Amino acid sequence: MALSESDTRRLRPAFEAIVGRDGVLTDPHELLVYESDGATIFRATADAIVFPRSTEEVAACVRRANAEGLPFVARGAGTGLAGGCLPTEGGVVLALTRMTRIVEVDYDNQVAVVEPGLVNLHLSQAVAPEGYYYAPDPSSQLACTIGGNVANNSGGPHTLKYGVTTNHVLGLEVVLPDGEVVWLGGKVRDGQGYDLVGVFVGSEGTFGIATKIVVRLLKRPQAVKTFLAVFEQLDQASRTVAAITARGLTPAALEMIDQITIQAVEDAYGAGYPRDAAAALLIELDGIAPGMDEEAERVIAACRENGAREVRVARDEAERALLWKGRKAAFGAYGRVSPAYFVMDGVIPRTRLPQVLRRVDEIVQAHGLRVGNVFHAGDGNLHPNILYDPRNPGEVERVLAAGAEIMKVCVEVGGSISGEHGIGIEKQDFMPWIFSEADLRTMAGVKAAFNPTGRCNPGKIFPTAKSCVPGEIGYRPHPIEERGLAQRL
Amino acid sequence: MLSLLDTLAGIVGPAHCLAGADRGPFVVEGRTPSVVVFPGTVDEASHVVAAAGAAGVPVIPWGGGTQMGLGAPPRDGAVVVATRRLARVVEHEPADLTATVEAGITLDALQAALGAPGQWLSLDPPLPGRATLGGALATNASGPRRYLYGTARDLVIGLRVVGADGALVRSGGKVVKNVAGYDLNKLYIGSLGTLGLIVEVTVKLRPRPEADRACWATFGDVPAAAAAVREVMASDLLPHSIELLDAGATAASAHATGLAADGAGAALVLGFDGLPTTVTWQLGAAERLLRGAGATRVAVLGDATAARALAVVRDMPVTAPEPLALARVGVLPAQVGRYTQEAAAAVREAGLGLLAAAHAGSGIVRLALTAGGEGRGLPTTVKTLARLRAEARILGGHFLVEWAPLAVKEEIAVWDPPGPAVRLMERIKAQLDPKGILNPGRFVGGI
Repeated sequence: MALSESDTRRLRPAFEAIVGRDGVLTDPHELLVYESDGATIFRATADAIVFPRSTEEVAACVRRANAEGLPFVARGAGTGLAGGCLPTEGGVVLALTRMTRIVEVDYDNQVAVVEPGLVNLHLSQAVAPEGYYYAPDPSSQLACTIGGNVANNSGGPHTLKYGVTTNHVLGLEVVLPDGEVVWLGGKVRDGQGYDLVGVFVGSEGTFGIATKIVVRLLKRPQAVKTFLAVFEQLDQASRTVAAITARGLTPAALEMIDQITIQAVEDAYGAGYPRDAAAALLIELDGIAPGMDEEAERVIAACRENGAREVRVARDEAERALLWKGRKAAFGAYGRVSPAYFVMDGVIPRTRLPQVLRRVDEIVQAHGLRVGNVFHAGDGNLHPNILYDPRNPGEVERVLAAGAEIMKVCVEVGGSISGEHGIGIEKQDFMPWIFSEADLRTMAGVKAAFNPTGRCNPGKIFPTAKSCVPGEIGYRPHPIEERGLAQRL
Repeated sequence: MLSLLDTLAGIVGPAHCLAGADRGPFVVEGRTPSVVVFPGTVDEASHVVAAAGAAGVPVIPWGGGTQMGLGAPPRDGAVVVATRRLARVVEHEPADLTATVEAGITLDALQAALGAPGQWLSLDPPLPGRATLGGALATNASGPRRYLYGTARDLVIGLRVVGADGALVRSGGKVVKNVAGYDLNKLYIGSLGTLGLIVEVTVKLRPRPEADRACWATFGDVPAAAAAVREVMASDLLPHSIELLDAGATAASAHATGLAADGAGAALVLGFDGLPTTVTWQLGAAERLLRGAGATRVAVLGDATAARALAVVRDMPVTAPEPLALARVGVLPAQVGRYTQEAAAAVREAGLGLLAAAHAGSGIVRLALTAGGEGRGLPTTVKTLARLRAEARILGGHFLVEWAPLAVKEEIAVWDPPGPAVRLMERIKAQLDPKGILNPGRFVGGI
């Protein structure tokens, strides 16, 4: 927290005047609720949480924060997994959960304009009656917001075929860190000038706050086929992933689930996954109906050739929904087998999948822990979920150490340290593993263009030791550093 | 200048340095470069830019030279850095569906290299035999297949660029999903080389489709064709291309492909690819839909004719004979028909000719103004462009003078007046190229 109690008392009326008396939280018990996102291993307390209801209120709050010299950060549903919306320097959190409107749907031009606090799934549900949907579908889509998706350039299972958030955002109304409101891009494509929309998406809230988002809508495909392929060895499942690609198929989704996860999922939901399988692949094809049977045969052949014991096809929408529930709610099911889990996010070339999964297993076991894998195998986007008990002394440290080693393996095989969850706090000190000084300097330059004071979501993305971003407010040790696992150079 | 010339010759070798009369082909709109260099490696390109920057001399990137007339004229006495020798395929892992190539490779050469293992880059900008990948990215060039496959920003996963100080900078990576750090790929693409010289590109690929066909439909007028487009977009069909042609473009396409036009007021070319079963079904469904929408003629094209038709349309209107000016307009897809009609009226009133081809599903209309046979002069061209721009902006769209003779460009702005976001652009430019070395003065807002 950056402010004293008396300062907070002084500022409260200023924010209440903007967002209303019921739009400000400063009581320590209330602030506790917002001290972490989905990565509960990281915590930070704000000085105040405010709930603006409009672009004008967001802009006014940002100007007030600037006037007081306070850092500020936007927050959607708080489902992030890298600590990206944590107020690590204190200051003001702008919770956008009161800005949930669908401003406009234009079916003729297949676009919609929405507010940032709109829940991702609610958008698809709203346009479903006309036969449309919004394609980026993070597994948290029941809760996560479009604004948060923009900040993280969120993915999801269907990004294999349809791309990630940035491929579906055409325009943004943004409150810049200085409080000015500006439109970037819009409904019309190929706007002249730099692609400011494209660089804003995935900037993890460090370039400003998006207050309106113009998104593409897609027509629901004519046909869909969903398969569950069951394997008795993890290796066979991972080899099948490349085999499917090698047959010239572009599935809409290609997800892998391992045994620990299957068992947790079956305990929790009874989704019909076979408990004794070493691994399962959830594969989905979509598109034009004539020809889909042929594609399905190729998928099944690829699975069988790599040792699939069984390949089931969902017979109706209900079966399909149940298979997907098992996948999308998998993280939540881990609660049945472990008091806590640390969600990892790395990405590798998909041909390296078998080798990397073996390494992940070795690393986790070497630290005396267990791991559950449920992830976007088709993209090579791994989510090893390290299962642990935070009450055991030293266990958190071992989790973070195992996580860092796993990230190193991803980098070694030519991958990246984040496929979709972002850098946030969690991985900022890993950035030099994949980017040079010149690379980071260039990124810092672009950040300085948007956020010259550095007050907008400080302390994220860039390495804490050697951050070259001007205007950083105060050095705050990274949790890994606090635990003596890493040190400043 | 002599010492910079010596330095550059020392970096790339004297055989790859052009001075004197050899610079002729590299003169743009009367602006002559001081020297043209052809670096043979990414490191040489880096040293070249560093040397030019140290001497305070601007750098002009040059790929295939197909769009050098884009933007305001370049500075005199600059160093042209031509990427022709940076044409290697650095990595291609078919099982990963990714490839890394040097930016000076032409689109055709790239597709040929990828075609052996049955893959392709789903980007089809005009003139692929000459246009380089780097140049296509720098100008954000695209073609008909953007409707289904997106544009460069949807296909590039990593870049290496030479920054204004000569440093090699990497953005993105080599994997298809990557959110580590800022997505600078998006900034470099379409930036006309003003933030960095693109030297290496990593792209995601697709398996080559087993079938790739098209159908050609003629209509009485543009509104009828536009109505048919609406129906196609609302249907279950998944064309990779929806191209709408006005009367001028219809006649030109028919002439180039041997397809029948019968003086049609408009035409549509729809492309479909995928499994043969899927493509056959879609062609049949498209034919029924187009007839129902009032097409005067529908032809389902065989493989070779389909490829030729799409290539002809893709290269419009750059290939229009002796255009007075070329323009690129962005409007909403639902406004394409209306804008094309308004453009036709404006051009007719001016006594000029028009050729309009639109990526109708994306809202991009490409125009060529041609002489109307009445010998109208430059003032008419300028006035007509201004009117066409006004019509686009009234619809909320944008208008780019993609090419025009220097005398026209001196009377009408190439770019639209920039909005308030230009100050962000200026600040980004100031951060990344404070000395104004990279292709200065040519871009939006005078950047």
